[in-house]
Amino acid sequence: MSIPGPFADRYRAALDNETLSQNLLEFQRSWRETRDKQITDLEEIVQTDADQLRHELAVMKDHVIEELSEHVKQFRVAAEATGAIVFEAGTAAEANDYIARLCTERGAETVVKGKSMVTEELFLNEYLESFDIKVLETDLGEWLLQLDNDRPSHVVMPAIHRRRQEVARILEHELGVPFDDDDIPAMVKSARTALREDFLSAGVGITGANALIASTGTTLLVTNEGNGELSASLPEIHVVVAGIEKIVPTTADAMKQVRLLARSATGQPISTYTSFFTGPVPGHEMHIVLVDNGRLAMAEQDWSSSALRCVKCGACANVCPAYQVVGGHAFGHVYTGPIGLVNTAFHHEIEAAAGPQSLCLSCGACETVCPVEIPLPEQILGVRRLVAQEVGIPRWRRLTMRLYTSRRLVALGTRLAAVATLPFRSKSFTKIPFISRRFASWRSIPAFPLTPARSRSTLRSSGDAIAHTKATGRRVTLFMQCVSDRLAPEVVLASVDLLRAAGCEVDIPSDQHCCGLPAIDSGDDENGRRMARQTLEVLAGTDDVVTPSPSCALAMFHDYERLFADEPVWQQRARELRDRVHDLTGYLTGPARLPDGTLARGDTRPVAIDHFCQSSNVLGRESILDDLIRSLTGADVVPLAEAEVCCGFGGSTSLAATELSAGVLKRKLDNVDASGAQVLLTDNPGCLLHLRGGADAASINVDVLHFAEYLAARLPGR
Amino acid sequence: MTNSSISIDELIRRASVAQSVVHQLTGWSNVAELALDLAGSEAVAVTPSLSASCPQLTSALGDRMCSPDPKNPFESIADAAVGVVEGALAVAETGSILLAQDDPCDRAVSMLSRIEIQVVNRDRIVSSLDEVATWIEANEGSLSLATLVTGPSRTADIERSLTIGVQGPSDLHMVILG
Repeated sequence: MSIPGPFADRYRAALDNETLSQNLLEFQRSWRETRDKQITDLEEIVQTDADQLRHELAVMKDHVIEELSEHVKQFRVAAEATGAIVFEAGTAAEANDYIARLCTERGAETVVKGKSMVTEELFLNEYLESFDIKVLETDLGEWLLQLDNDRPSHVVMPAIHRRRQEVARILEHELGVPFDDDDIPAMVKSARTALREDFLSAGVGITGANALIASTGTTLLVTNEGNGELSASLPEIHVVVAGIEKIVPTTADAMKQVRLLARSATGQPISTYTSFFTGPVPGHEMHIVLVDNGRLAMAEQDWSSSALRCVKCGACANVCPAYQVVGGHAFGHVYTGPIGLVNTAFHHEIEAAAGPQSLCLSCGACETVCPVEIPLPEQILGVRRLVAQEVGIPRWRRLTMRLYTSRRLVALGTRLAAVATLPFRSKSFTKIPFISRRFASWRSIPAFPLTPARSRSTLRSSGDAIAHTKATGRRVTLFMQCVSDRLAPEVVLASVDLLRAAGCEVDIPSDQHCCGLPAIDSGDDENGRRMARQTLEVLAGTDDVVTPSPSCALAMFHDYERLFADEPVWQQRARELRDRVHDLTGYLTGPARLPDGTLARGDTRPVAIDHFCQSSNVLGRESILDDLIRSLTGADVVPLAEAEVCCGFGGSTSLAATELSAGVLKRKLDNVDASGAQVLLTDNPGCLLHLRGGADAASINVDVLHFAEYLAARLPGR
Repeated sequence: MTNSSISIDELIRRASVAQSVVHQLTGWSNVAELALDLAGSEAVAVTPSLSASCPQLTSALGDRMCSPDPKNPFESIADAAVGVVEGALAVAETGSILLAQDDPCDRAVSMLSRIEIQVVNRDRIVSSLDEVATWIEANEGSLSLATLVTGPSRTADIERSLTIGVQGPSDLHMVILG
C-alpha cells in the first residue's frame, strides 16, 4: 500500500478503468435491494421503525461524542481492570511508534492483521515495514491488494475495483501455481492455505474494533471471514487499534449497533463473527491503542462532530451515484465515499480532502441510508467552505461567480450568446461543430432563447382561472429561477399559466436573479450571500413565493439561515422567507391542486417521471408528482427504475467533473430507455436541460419536459 | 430463557438462511455419531472444557478424539477435520450460537477446524440479541471472549461472489440437544 497520489491522477485512472463502474453499478443495485429487505426484516423483529432505530443509535453516539474525553477515561479504567494495557495516541506517529516499539521489544518478526481502517489512516503497515517487520493483511480483499501494492477502495469491500482475472494473476505471481479465472472458490481456498502458517507463527496480531464498550472495557470486532478472530486469538500479543469515537456506553448499546451495522454494510442480518474481547486470555497480552488523530478537534466543532458517529459501514458509498462512476480511489482519500469527503479533512491534510470535493453532486442519498443519521451533505458543504478558506477557490471560479452575481451582466451575456449561436440553432439545441467534445458530445447544449421569460409579452397577459382551489385569490410571487428564465423560458410561462388556472394572482418581480445556490454549493459563501441578499430584497413583503425550481426552494429552506449566521437582521429575513417559499410541485399538489379531470386527456404516450433527488432525499417525497400527473391527465405513468437516483446534473459539478456527470447521466438514461417511456418529466429545471441534452446526444427517443410544460399544454384552450 | 417452540422454529430458520446445518439430537452419543460420520477416517477435536464436562461424548468418540496440546494448542490441532464445541446460548433472532471461551485451547478448536459442530442445549435458546447482551454483562469479569457465530466463515471479496469457508470453518453444524 502507498499514500494516495494526486486527485487528478486518481480521477483519470478511475475513468480509464472500464469495469470499475460496471462492477459498482451491479453492486449498488444488489446492495440496495438486500439492505432494504434486511431493514424491513429488522423492523418486524424489534417492532420499531428503522428511522427510530437509526435515531436511537445516533443519540447514543452523540452522548459519547459530547463527553468524549470522559468516555475515553471510563473505557481506559475498565479495560485496564481486565488486564489489558491501554495506550492513548494523540497522533498517527504516536500510535505507530508504540506499536513498532512493542513489536521490536517482543521480537515479533511477523504481524498478522485483521481488516482495520484506522491502521490504513495511520499508514501503520509502511511504518512497521520500515523496521523490517513483516506485516500481513489477512482479510482476503486486503491481502490481495497488499500483494499487488494497491489500496482499498471501499470501507467494507476493499477490492471491489478488481476483477477476478486480475486476482488470479496476483495469486499466480504470489503462489507460483496457475489459477482458473472463473474458479473463485479455488482462489479463496488458496488464501486459507497460504495464511494459515503465518497465523500460527506470528508474534503479534493487530485488529481494529467496531466498538469499544466503556462499562466493561470490552472491544467488539465483527468479521465474516474469521480472520480478525484468528489474528486476535492465535498470536500471544493482541493489539487493538481503534479511533476513540468507537466508544459506546454499554453492551446493550453495542448490540443496537450490531443490529444496524451488518445490514447497512453488507445487507446481512448479522456478520458471521461478532466477537467481544474482554482482556487477555491467560498467558497472552492485550494492548489497546486509542487513536485521536484529529477526532477531539472534530468533536469540538458543531458542524463536524456528528461525523464521529460513523460506524464505517460504507452505506453512504453504496448509494452515492458519483462513487458508482469513479469508485473509492478517486472518491475519497484513505476513507472513501461520502464520509471520506468529510473525515479526510480531519485525519489528513486539508489538501487531501480538497480534490474529491468536486465529485459530490449534493443529491443527499447518503444521508438517507446512514445508520447513525450523519448529515453528510451539509458536512460536505462544510468541508468545501473549509477548503475555500484554507486552500482557496480557483480564481477563475471565484471570478465567474462574482460576475454571475450581476443580473445585468448575466442578461447581457446570455443575450450575446443567443445572438452568437443563432447560426448553430437546431431545434431546441445549439450544435456548434468545433466545440470541445468533452463538453458537448454527451450532452447537447440547449438553444439560447433571444428573449428571456421575463421579457415575454405572454407573461403579462392574464390567463384564466379554470377552477376554484384553496389558492384561489392568493397573491403568488413567482421566483423564476435564473436557468429557467434564460434557458428554458417555456417552464416559466407554463408555471404562470398553471398558477393562474388555479386562481392565483401572479407577480413576477423584474429585478429577480439567482438565489445563490451555485456559489453556496462550491463553498463560496461570499458570493452566495451577495445573491441571497438580492433575492431576499426582491422577495421582501411578498405573500406566497413559488418557484418552478425545487433546488432554489431548498437553498432558501436550508442554506440561507446558515449563510447569515453572523447577521441577525438578514437571518431573520431568511427565516421569514423560508416559511413562505414553495416549489411549484409542492404548491400544485397542495393549495393550488386543480380538481381531477380539469385538464385535457388524449396524450396516450407512456410517461416516466424522474424524482428530483433532493426532493426525494431531503424532503422525503416519494411519488406525489406521479400521482398528480396520473390523476390530472390520466397519463400512462410507467415505472422508472431508480427514479430517485440523481441524474448527474449536480449544478457546477457537471462543468467541473464532466466525465462524472456524464457517467451518472448514462445510468439515468439507461433506466429511462428501459422504462419504455416516450415522455420523461422532471420538476427541476437544471435536471431538465441536462436530461434533455443527454437524451438528444444519446439519440434516445424521448420527449423531456418540465412537468409544468406537460400540464400547461393540457389547459383548456391550448 | 425463552423456550417456546416459536423461538426454536425461528432459530432453525435463521440458522439455515445463514447456511448452518441444523440437527435436533437427543444425547451426546448422537453428537459423537454425527462427528465421526463427518470426520470420515480423520480425528475429531473436542474443546478441553467440553471433554472435561462430558464423558458421554469422549467415551463415544474413543480413540478418534483429539484434544489440543495446552503447550501448543493451535498447531496441535490446526486443520482438524471436525471440531466439537459447546455453545452458551443460541439466538433465534439471528440464528447464531454464542461461544463463551476463556481457554485458548477452546478457541483453537472452534476457529481452526474445517468442520465445526456447535452443540447447545434446548433450554439455552434465547429469542433476541438483547438477551445476549444481558447475559454477556452478567458474566462480565469471567469471560475474555464471547463470540456470536452465525453460519460458516465466508467472503465476497472477489467480485462479490459469496464463497463459504475462508479462514474459519467451512461447514457449520448446529446441534440442538435434548
